[in-house]
Amino acid sequence: MKRFLTGAAALALSVTMAPAAFAQDGGYTIGVSNTVQGNGWREEMICAMRAQALSSGEVDRLIVAHRNTDAAGQLEDLRNLIEAGVDAIVLNPANPDALNSAIEDAIAADIVVVAVDQGVTAEGAYVVSNNQEEYAYLGASWLFEQMGGEGSVVYMRGAAGTSADNDRDAGFRRALEENPGVEVVHEVFTGWQQDQGKQQMFDFIATGIPFDGVWTSGIDNVIVDAFLESGAPLVPIVGADNAGFVAMLQDVEGLEGAAVTNPGSIGGAGVAVALNILNGNPPEETTVLVDPVLWQNTTDEGREQIANAQNPNLDPEWPVSVEIPGYTTYSMDEIIACEGPGE
Amino acid sequence: MSAILRAHAWSIGLAILFLALLGLAKVIQPSFGITGLESLARAALPFAFATAAMAVVVIVGGIDLSVASMMAVASVTAAVLMQTMPAVPAIVITLAAGALMGAINGGLIVVTRVPDIVATLAMLFVWEGVALLILNAPGGTAADWLENTIRGSFVIPGLPKALVLMTVCVAVVWVPLKRSKLGLSIYATGSHENAAFRSGVAVGKTRIAAYAVCGLFAAMGGLSLTMLTGIGEPVPGPYLMASVAAVVLGGVVLGGGIGGLLGPIIAVFILRIIRTILTLAAVDPNVTTIVEGTIMVAVVMLGALVMMRGRETV
Repeated sequence: MKRFLTGAAALALSVTMAPAAFAQDGGYTIGVSNTVQGNGWREEMICAMRAQALSSGEVDRLIVAHRNTDAAGQLEDLRNLIEAGVDAIVLNPANPDALNSAIEDAIAADIVVVAVDQGVTAEGAYVVSNNQEEYAYLGASWLFEQMGGEGSVVYMRGAAGTSADNDRDAGFRRALEENPGVEVVHEVFTGWQQDQGKQQMFDFIATGIPFDGVWTSGIDNVIVDAFLESGAPLVPIVGADNAGFVAMLQDVEGLEGAAVTNPGSIGGAGVAVALNILNGNPPEETTVLVDPVLWQNTTDEGREQIANAQNPNLDPEWPVSVEIPGYTTYSMDEIIACEGPGE
Repeated sequence: MSAILRAHAWSIGLAILFLALLGLAKVIQPSFGITGLESLARAALPFAFATAAMAVVVIVGGIDLSVASMMAVASVTAAVLMQTMPAVPAIVITLAAGALMGAINGGLIVVTRVPDIVATLAMLFVWEGVALLILNAPGGTAADWLENTIRGSFVIPGLPKALVLMTVCVAVVWVPLKRSKLGLSIYATGSHENAAFRSGVAVGKTRIAAYAVCGLFAAMGGLSLTMLTGIGEPVPGPYLMASVAAVVLGGVVLGGGIGGLLGPIIAVFILRIIRTILTLAAVDPNVTTIVEGTIMVAVVMLGALVMMRGRETV
């Protein structure tokens, strides 16, 4: 028995190998919490946060809690960040209401809380977000106009049950109401997964049911792939400003499409706003909404915008709008390098 | 005394490991204290219930891949019910629904003779769909007083209410069950189904009962999610793999018949404190899951080695 206990103690010590990285005094410590890992948009958001923290020169240490989890897991991460003694937390919330208990604890501990991408309802938290309802409305309105105000549309949504998807649904429905001649012939959740979305498009093309346009919630380049690979005639397609899709808008023969901007670099803007607040310059409103822009390849002006946004070094799943004017100060190379302070 | 120690050697080893890790957290972050413990206990709540649920069916010789989906169903059921009725009846209905879901899983396995892993894999999708039917987006509400039952410390500072609630809920179900005839049947069925059957154990009923208990614990897990977040989330969280990991780390043998709930629940705390330590030490998030997995394998392997050597010298 004694041997077992000594063995267990040795075992315990062998595990105590976590690197002890400590920050120097001086600048701020910022915590980041995110609940979707391995998605191009979110990876760009994290890199924007790192690049902005480094570029500001005011951040000594950036603690990133970045994994696939639910709201309860994010509560855990937020409380761990509070324990780590951060000065500010920038988070992409899994849900607007579910995180309030931890956010209130953070604010009570004088930690600045900035939610990016999606809002939170906790009192005292700041929100820096892309306007998701407008995102869907803008793209859907263009698509329905392109379809001549009538016909059938394939509606490829994001992940069921998420607030961004619900907000976009509201925008899509608003555009649909304004175009009574358009009907949804097929509605499906891609889960924001490339492979799943592509398979769903293949399946629907195989049914032979005619349709006149496709609205996607950002799973876009694989949808064009599905058309090209199955040899089906192209219809107008709306996607996001992901690098791969934007390149297709420029290069694919016969593709009419539009990209709606939904910059992942909003994360960098969140860090910038958090630093402004820490330095005593809070924004005038607690909610800062960044409105999307639409780039279409059917007009000269749109084609020029698309050409300007290209960068061959960008990951094809990253949004090409890597900067948010007025907030982010890093360069294109810095966000691609994805390095934060102390790395 | 020595016999008790030997019987719980694995759990004691895990507890020592946990205390060492707590000490490490304190070294990395000297301010880590009572609030840290409270946060840890709250974070462990859903994982602990998921793990208890998984442990019961693993002990009976099965596995339930639908644990996380049943938690989602329970979470949204409770959150929707609490919009229109007081919390207590809503909780009772949710727990009953959990036990029913578990019994359906068990019944399906016993009646169709489809292997546990296949039947519950199918039910994973069924319950996931049921959760989305009940609530297609995160929503609902939770009574305010529920959050207070897991917030802060109980009587003495440093004894988190969440830990007390977890201990009471698991003990109320498990302690009498383990000492009853049904408990004996569960262990007997898990260690050798044929032998149990020939000794007069109603194997089919036992398995259904074990799955029902699993469903009951999963419902508690779902309720804890609603208590933590104040809403119901229809998309299942990362509780399936985490519960299997904690069960194995906790000394329950996959295959059945051996183990209890104490070890797996301590294992849950170990996995949570590792997450806390990695956050405190600002380890690259893309590395943390590798570290978590490596630690788990190392603990199980080294532990097995120590146990084997210990057995030789006894």
